[in-house]
Amino acid sequence: MSNQDDTQSEDQIDEVQYDPSSGKYDIYECVDCDNVVLVVGSDDPPMSCHDRPMERVTDPDISIKPPDVKQVLLQAFGLPKAGLDICLCVIGEGPLSANEVAAELDYDRSTVTRYLNTLVDLGLLRQSQLNREGGGVVNVYHSIDLEWMRRETLIGFYVWAGEAASLIEDANMTQREYLEANTGGEIPDVFWESKSEE
Amino acid sequence: MDQLATKSDADRRETTTKTVLATSLDTDEATIESHVDGLEDCELAKTYRDGSVRITITGEELLALDTDNIVIVDSM
Repeated sequence: MSNQDDTQSEDQIDEVQYDPSSGKYDIYECVDCDNVVLVVGSDDPPMSCHDRPMERVTDPDISIKPPDVKQVLLQAFGLPKAGLDICLCVIGEGPLSANEVAAELDYDRSTVTRYLNTLVDLGLLRQSQLNREGGGVVNVYHSIDLEWMRRETLIGFYVWAGEAASLIEDANMTQREYLEANTGGEIPDVFWESKSEE
Repeated sequence: MDQLATKSDADRRETTTKTVLATSLDTDEATIESHVDGLEDCELAKTYRDGSVRITITGEELLALDTDNIVIVDSM
């Protein structure tokens, strides 16, 4: 078999198989308009649009790649791998010094401090300043309420996903307008380049 | 650290011993020593030459935050 076949086979494996029965999430569409909604966690009460229950989408045709959590966090929240490593490093641990974290992750101490502050800016850690016994202050970083974090990261991701969906919809509309104005014509590369610049 | 705070005091410089801590926590002294070393790295405990140990001002302030999820102490 050719390499092309192998690549195609790997691509097919590396796809999300949407399973509406999994209960992880549901996608509904309105039968009267183009409203499409994502529901995570519950469909009670059932989603409705135009005073009618929306229909559950069961068979998307488009090929969907599985998300990589590191890429998702980087794209949606600007949280790079180092920040994620720090988050994962401290889960379940007692107090750790910044030096210990740096040594464990093989990062510079200054990198750890920088990403701790990034995590504070993102709202994923809280920072307190305590008095040092010999004078001066000590920065302490502690996790926020886990339920609050769950809500904020989920809503934050939905905002990001909404923005992404708007971009896709905008591209679809522009594409439609272009094709209507240029019957039978191919969409030139310059079209996509202009979308990425916006 | 709760046990250390209970059995020592930063303001009055009252100390305790690792033996007392090991007994109250029903563990061995090596385990206590390892934990105390970790707290000391975070400036949350102070060990004296005679082996006695106490919580620091920083440690007491940390407990006063009353947060369950302390993560990183950066004393830069």
